[in-house]
Amino acid sequence: MNSLNAMFPLLTLIVGALLVLILEVSIKRENKTYLAFISIIFLMICGFFCVQSWGKDFSYFNNHLYLDNFALFFSIVLIITTILVTLISMKYLSLQNTNVGEYYALLLLALSGMLIMVSSSDLIVIFLGLEVLSMSSYTLAGLKRDDQKSSEAALKYFLLGSFASAFLVYGLALLYGVSNSTSIAVIIDHFKTESSLSFMAFAGLGLVIVGFGFKIAVVPFHMWTPDVYQGAPTPITAFFSIGPKAVGFAVLVRLLYPFWHVAYDSEVIFSLLWIISALTMIIGNLIALRQTNIKRMLAYSSIAHAGYLMVAILSQDTSSLMFYFVVYLFMNIGAFAAVIALGKKDKEYLELDDYAGIGFKYPWIGATFAVFLFSLAGFPPTGGFLAKFYVFSAAVREGLVSLVIIGVLASLVSVYYYLRIIVYMYMREPTHEVDINLENPALFLVLFLCLYGVLQLGIFPGNILLIIKQAVSSIAFL
Amino acid sequence: MIELFLVFLVFGFVGALMVVVNKILGPRKTNPTKEMPYECGSPPLQEGINPFPIKYYLVAFLFLLFDIEVVFLFPWALVFKEVGMTGVILMFAYIFILLMGFIYAWKKGAFQWEK
Amino acid sequence: MVPTSYFIILSAILFVLGAFAFFVKRDLITQFLCIEVMLSAANLAFIAFAKSASSLDGQIIVIFIITVAAAEAAVGLAIILLVYRQKKTIKSEDMNLMKG
Repeated sequence: MNSLNAMFPLLTLIVGALLVLILEVSIKRENKTYLAFISIIFLMICGFFCVQSWGKDFSYFNNHLYLDNFALFFSIVLIITTILVTLISMKYLSLQNTNVGEYYALLLLALSGMLIMVSSSDLIVIFLGLEVLSMSSYTLAGLKRDDQKSSEAALKYFLLGSFASAFLVYGLALLYGVSNSTSIAVIIDHFKTESSLSFMAFAGLGLVIVGFGFKIAVVPFHMWTPDVYQGAPTPITAFFSIGPKAVGFAVLVRLLYPFWHVAYDSEVIFSLLWIISALTMIIGNLIALRQTNIKRMLAYSSIAHAGYLMVAILSQDTSSLMFYFVVYLFMNIGAFAAVIALGKKDKEYLELDDYAGIGFKYPWIGATFAVFLFSLAGFPPTGGFLAKFYVFSAAVREGLVSLVIIGVLASLVSVYYYLRIIVYMYMREPTHEVDINLENPALFLVLFLCLYGVLQLGIFPGNILLIIKQAVSSIAFL
Repeated sequence: MIELFLVFLVFGFVGALMVVVNKILGPRKTNPTKEMPYECGSPPLQEGINPFPIKYYLVAFLFLLFDIEVVFLFPWALVFKEVGMTGVILMFAYIFILLMGFIYAWKKGAFQWEK
Repeated sequence: MVPTSYFIILSAILFVLGAFAFFVKRDLITQFLCIEVMLSAANLAFIAFAKSASSLDGQIIVIFIITVAAAEAAVGLAIILLVYRQKKTIKSEDMNLMKG
């Protein structure tokens, strides 16, 4: 249905971002927390619009913006991510001497880019959304302007990110050349009529997949991830580990699912992705083993999780992919929130040694962090177990047994480095004094919400599965 | 014609080969004095390139952004009559967003030459 | 009339050159310019395809890509400037604070 309603979530975000920017420069106040509250209000309005258009299939701009339930589901997941990230940033920014109001505006702009990406099926519009997201992300990574690591992270993210988008654009140019359109549906239709893929179409599709591979950080396009994740401000790292990944996979779903059924040479692309998925799971987990910096370790762990998600893409099971994302959102933001909780003025505790004895000194933070780590490793009472179980059982149904064996072995390896943190927290004597700033109600709210989410999804996943079913049945391959 | 082409090919190849072989086989010994720019034998007094003050970069960035965004106005002018009121509204929304960016840069002090 | 394939071959050469030089060069500004060359290669391909199919889409897409490239240039140069002010160097091998 062609209606202006399709624009409302985006318009809300843009108005919010502009308002935050203008307020930032016109009201000179040291404390920027009020900007966080304003942006949370706008995020909630945006979420309200998304919930309201559930099942109504609004579209605008000749279907270049199409809000099917699949897009709305991802939009809502991303809005929740941004709200949680805004909450954990509030205190962090003033503690870490990064007190800039533009932070919240850039978060809103990044979110609007992601909403454009998930709700379009035209590759050029997706590219524009990606650039809106990337440009805000480069800036966000470098916002700790006095910290050399942060600037270096921004630089690396910028260089490799724009390198990847150049690949993406060239791939789009080739696809445009073979099919005279950038709409996914027309491109797929064109593939249907050809008996075998021409070299140009094959190269175009390959380049597009490489471009998105950089964004979702799968091996061998993952080199930037650890450095960027380590250098960026910690709440932004949490944001990077979920947002760009979620939209990258959403676009891959839209692009690849119709492709599997039509093209004659899809086996080549399939086996390439198979190799990428296996490599991502193995290498991500193995390199994570020898990390001592927590942020860097979580970066490699997020690479490994991209590998598990790739298994879901290969087994063509959208619902397990979406469930995995919901669980991943809660457990990853929770883990990063716990890392942020261990900080004080101008100091973050990020090395493994700092975590010795934390479990007894700060029992609440230690216990919740342990639950998130169990969930990331995939232990039964938590959501992480169910998410992995759904992905791997869908893969077995599709006959990808060897890939599942690799995945299960890789996640066994991952248990070691997740549990190592817990061992440090509860079984090592602290080597030096770690005192932290505990006056951070928003952060503890986020910890509680994430804990609730992880346990709820692990024990009673019924409701969310019902919603996912509705969303999957309505994917529009325009 | 083809002979001329061959001549170019052969000599081009030989030239490229010599450059590459030189790079590969030649010894590479450098020292700080050798790396220095040559100024008639006397040691250089200052860096070769003086960096511009930071204000120039700021103005250049802003010019780059606001200059290139105008490019969207030209296609609009071409189809002005066909798109009608929708086009006017969308274009004004676009210019409004740019204006907000401009106000932000202004209030932030990007146009203040002397501080 | 120059055939379309010439343009495509030229754009492919430009693209590969840009990608190759990105890995070979050790200067951040040069690496950034390599990315711009790659984007221009894509622009050339879009224009050539649009011309051969006589459709307008490709030309509009090129305008979008040029705008994106300009915005990217502003953000990227600002980041490079920030790094230069801290480290007084823009060699990519000096960007080595994080390892592992």
